[in-house]
Amino acid sequence: MSRRYDSRTTIFSPDGRLYQVEYALEAISHAGTAIGILAKDGIVLAAERKVTSKLLEQDTSAEKLYILNDNMICAVAGMTADANILINYARQAAQRYLLTYNEDIPCEQLVRRLCDLKQGYTQHGGLRPFGVSFIYAGWDPQRQFQLYLSNPSGNYGGWKATSSGANHASAQSLLKQDYKEDCTLKEACGMAVKVLSKTMDSTKLSSEKIEFATVGQTKDGKIYHKLWSAEEINQLLKEHDLAKDETAEEK
Amino acid sequence: MAPHSNGTSPHWSLKSGVHQQGCPELQVLLGITGKDFTLIAASKAAMRGATILKAADDKTRQLNKNTLMAFSGEAGDTVQFAEYIQANAQLYSMRNETDLSPSALANFVRGELASSLRSRKPYNVNLLLGGVDPITDKPSLYWLDYLASLAPVPYAAHGYAQYYCLSILDKHHQPDITLERGMELLNLCADELKRRLPIDFKGLVVKAVTKDGTVEMPFDNDRIVKSA
Amino acid sequence: MASGYDRALSVFSPDGHVFQVEYAGEAVKRGTCAVGVKGKDVVVLGCEKRSAMKLQDTRITPSKIGLIDTHVCLAFAGLNADARILVDKARLEAQSHRLNLEDPVTIEYITKYVAGVQQRYTQSGGVRPFGISTLIVGFDKGSELPRLYQTEPSGIYSAWKANAIGRSSKTVREFLERNYKEDMDREATVRLAIKSLLEVVQTGAKNIEIAIMAPGQAVEMLPVEDIESYVKNIEQEKQEEAAKKKTGRTPGTGSAAILTRPAQDEPGDQ
Repeated sequence: MSRRYDSRTTIFSPDGRLYQVEYALEAISHAGTAIGILAKDGIVLAAERKVTSKLLEQDTSAEKLYILNDNMICAVAGMTADANILINYARQAAQRYLLTYNEDIPCEQLVRRLCDLKQGYTQHGGLRPFGVSFIYAGWDPQRQFQLYLSNPSGNYGGWKATSSGANHASAQSLLKQDYKEDCTLKEACGMAVKVLSKTMDSTKLSSEKIEFATVGQTKDGKIYHKLWSAEEINQLLKEHDLAKDETAEEK
Repeated sequence: MAPHSNGTSPHWSLKSGVHQQGCPELQVLLGITGKDFTLIAASKAAMRGATILKAADDKTRQLNKNTLMAFSGEAGDTVQFAEYIQANAQLYSMRNETDLSPSALANFVRGELASSLRSRKPYNVNLLLGGVDPITDKPSLYWLDYLASLAPVPYAAHGYAQYYCLSILDKHHQPDITLERGMELLNLCADELKRRLPIDFKGLVVKAVTKDGTVEMPFDNDRIVKSA
Repeated sequence: MASGYDRALSVFSPDGHVFQVEYAGEAVKRGTCAVGVKGKDVVVLGCEKRSAMKLQDTRITPSKIGLIDTHVCLAFAGLNADARILVDKARLEAQSHRLNLEDPVTIEYITKYVAGVQQRYTQSGGVRPFGISTLIVGFDKGSELPRLYQTEPSGIYSAWKANAIGRSSKTVREFLERNYKEDMDREATVRLAIKSLLEVVQTGAKNIEIAIMAPGQAVEMLPVEDIESYVKNIEQEKQEEAAKKKTGRTPGTGSAAILTRPAQDEPGDQ
């Protein structure tokens, strides 16, 4: 039945749905899980890496986490090639705003810029929608720390904790269970690895399989963002007894 | 010879200097920041050559709730440019449901002036842009000219008023003055201008920006000042 | 059958349908409900609001009611992302109109503009129509007359006394047809808007958004406590009415009496 309305560009089906967009969402639900948690003093983003190999350069080939500008980072779930286009666009939009106003672009505006582009690909001829969801973590003076989720339709929303990609339904319910208002960044990091360990196919985690990033504030009030190194991730996993080696075998 | 054929003569040179309409150097713009406010004053005379066309001109435009811009320069250019900026500021406010800060607006205006300067027919406008930051409540004042200079300043003037008023403000201005004191300083400046300027600038329009918005301040323009 | 003629974007089928436009209308019906009601010197927009999930950041979730200019308010039903684009175009036009014509747009002008954009997307190459209907309300500069317009994906626009769009809009519109009175005051207008929304919103005040416009004033978003007291009041009356019917009273004091009942017992409004 639906065949007729999904063969070309994005058009309405008789019941007013956009199948291309829904299929794009479907594509995302096969991608590695990404989660974001908003804490009172920062935000953590964590993502499951699908391509793992001993030969892969760990630190220079980020698959899921990207820096957008000085006060914003994002996690990607979906087609990485599509994501690269959008990330480039976002980085340019952020710099253009900085050039025009000599201020960093407010988080929601950058999210909206990207979503307007995504929307365009669901409406204008001949193009398929972008097959990516983003989780954005950022800070601006008006709303402080903020977490957003956007999807291929061009919709977005603000969240305290959210997830995208494979198993995002179970991740979401785990987050709902465990989320505490006013948790610290450290607690949020712990929650992030715990949720990931439960939603990923393998119970044993290692720095090869996940990427980790935080946005926070230094003691003198400066905003920083950090993509974690392999050692730092392993350290965190050890702290929470989720590391691959000896602790896992004991169980 | 056409002005464009000579590389040494910039094409805007025809417009700078004393041949401009509206006598930009004789238009008074003043700005003062204080503890929690920014005051902006502009002369009320609209002139063309040696003639005063209007004695109740308002050379300011409100850009958003907490930012005000005063302008002098070529007649026509000034209002055209100011209202263009005003429309852009308001469009931003409507689109984003938040106002641009005075600092962001000043940089935006600078960018517009800079690209105008390199166009075929640049705007000839000098500006003071003042306001109060909507988030930090800090007052600020920016001095801009038609060459797209931008400087954040505690107090400022444009035109011949610079020669008479900056020295007064150098002596009397403090960063944490109250609004009353700010008005006193403006009175000192106005008196000196009346004493020294060779024309009648028809008094000042004075507006104060605070975190609550912009209000026009009552200002006594009828006081007669005797020259020495 | 329509076979084939609904695939190419927006072309006529042999029996004269433009299917993509009709299907866009279906997308509107899938959206949450919005109502607009005109009073004597006030106009009210009401919206069904999806309840926020526990982990949603309530500071950010975008509203279905937006300002086009300080005197024009718009509510939509349909695809959120489409609405964002259309609203943005309308905001640009409103400011451009102010700059070029030195006057704010009239409500009819901006409605025509929005409808015009929607029409263009039903006829240009390679685009699908906007999957939204809008209600546009406000007051023209210097006028005390409330305005209420509707636009549709086809680009049709029309003026209304009261109307509804989106999910179950037919039910709500019929309710409005039965209960609309000319020259309602502010209280009665807000009350009718909320009451009509309650026809489709079961969960009460927390799922309702109300915007009120009056001549020369900024838009007022009704605080949730106020909506709550309206809802309570309406529900109480419905119960009383039901009780009356049970005791076998003549239904002489039907729904008309509810509307004309003085509203002085309602707190939260000055």
